[in-house]
Amino acid sequence: MSTQDTQSLTEDISGTSSEASPGKRGKPSLWNKSWPYLAAVGSLLVVWEIGALIENKPFILPDVVQTVPRFFQSFSDAEFMNGVWRSMYRLAVGYPVACLLGALLGLLAGVSRTFAVYLRSLISILQSIPPITWVPFLLLLLGFGDTVIIAVITIASFFPMALSVMNGTEGVNKTHLELARVFGANRMQLLTKVFGPESLPAFITGAQVSFGNAWRSLIASEMVGGASIGLGKYLSYHGEIADMKGVMISIIVIGGIAALLDHVVLERIKRKLLHYRYVSGSGGKK
Amino acid sequence: MQKLELKGVNKHFGDLLVLTNINLTIEEGEFAAIVGPSGCGKSTILRMLAGLEEASEGQVLANGQPITKPDPRRTLIFQEHALYPWRTVEQNVGFGMELAKEPKDERKKRIDEILEKVGLDGFQKYYPHQLSGGMRQRASIARALVLNPEVLLLDEPYGALDAITRLAMQNELIRLWRGTGKTVLLITHDIDEAVYLADSIYVMSPRPGHFIQTLHADMARPRNRNGQKFVELRQKIMDNLDIGSYSI
Repeated sequence: MSTQDTQSLTEDISGTSSEASPGKRGKPSLWNKSWPYLAAVGSLLVVWEIGALIENKPFILPDVVQTVPRFFQSFSDAEFMNGVWRSMYRLAVGYPVACLLGALLGLLAGVSRTFAVYLRSLISILQSIPPITWVPFLLLLLGFGDTVIIAVITIASFFPMALSVMNGTEGVNKTHLELARVFGANRMQLLTKVFGPESLPAFITGAQVSFGNAWRSLIASEMVGGASIGLGKYLSYHGEIADMKGVMISIIVIGGIAALLDHVVLERIKRKLLHYRYVSGSGGKK
Repeated sequence: MQKLELKGVNKHFGDLLVLTNINLTIEEGEFAAIVGPSGCGKSTILRMLAGLEEASEGQVLANGQPITKPDPRRTLIFQEHALYPWRTVEQNVGFGMELAKEPKDERKKRIDEILEKVGLDGFQKYYPHQLSGGMRQRASIARALVLNPEVLLLDEPYGALDAITRLAMQNELIRLWRGTGKTVLLITHDIDEAVYLADSIYVMSPRPGHFIQTLHADMARPRNRNGQKFVELRQKIMDNLDIGSYSI
């Protein structure tokens, strides 16, 4: 028996310390956390560079080195930056609306069985229609403008949230609810002290999946003519005028923004809200 | 303090008869135990006393009054500790007081006191998943005791613990209970646990559950698990459950 085993056994009986291993590990360094991301980005760049070297026609496929200066110039290019900000604005409106709508529908489905069946069928229909097919329909209905794109984002991204929240409310632990009742909780307290925190992880998962849907449908609907300005529009226009560098930069920025928002912003919010899940080890007594 | 009574109680879930003709009286301050095979409906008795289930026929009474809904004066300690994973130990223990909207300082004081008593002092800020099984069950007991209930209902509280921890926890339970005058009902399938802890022991049949025998353990505490009386009592219970002997 190792010393650690002995230690945790005695701790268990005496109950004076946690059985978890002593948390002397410390925080992983920035390098340890970020190198897999860098490797992923790097491998994509390597494939690109090799492809460009084989093709050897810079006007068709510029290599990484030729594209980098253009990338930095883009930040002061009004056409490009206006597009980026316009897309971000649409996301900033459409995504929260979708999350809110999805959460509301999911909660309703959690309360009513009938509504849950209705919502599931509705979602299975909407899910099978590619979001951009709504663009011509909405253009005729709402006219040219941001509203069309925002509506597409909402349609495309409310349902992961709704599904996740619906499943989350179904999965609330019965013992947790009974315990609260035994301790004298009223209906409101059951909702705020048990249902809320218990289904919070489902909200967060839903929000993360919804984000992917929102971003993809935003870019796609800008590309198919739903807008005159935007990151997607910039991409499709520069494709038409055979500006390969512009196309490559758009793709990079589209991927970069999504990765940044998902892995940095949403992930931080998740860790903040569910911090109890990320506490590990005993962390030392007192 | 409360006296608990069941009078002519039947309970069925749909067509399934779970309990039949249950008569039970637990006096104020008594430590009673119900022993029986799994699925015999012993937990259902406890849940009726906790106000989580209603009897199909018959009466379930506390001090002569029918029990219709849960009441913090009668707390149930669940088999799986049922601590909230998103709350720290002190937030879990303070849950009942939080529901009753007691002031924060008062809460803090009582939480610290009870944690000291159950041997969890210093673990206030820990989350349940950072604790061992025994410590979680201690926190769960602290959460019930901090409300100073009149009745403790224990549903196989140590069923999920290893044998060594279980024995230690049984001693702790007696220490916590002695002199408080609380009425206790323990549900268990561990015969030794019942004989070691309880004043009166009710032996239940398989489903549909009814009491086969009531035994009184007139032994002073602490009890000797190998004493003559202890062994006799254990044998009697096993005979009643048809596991006392076997033929080859």
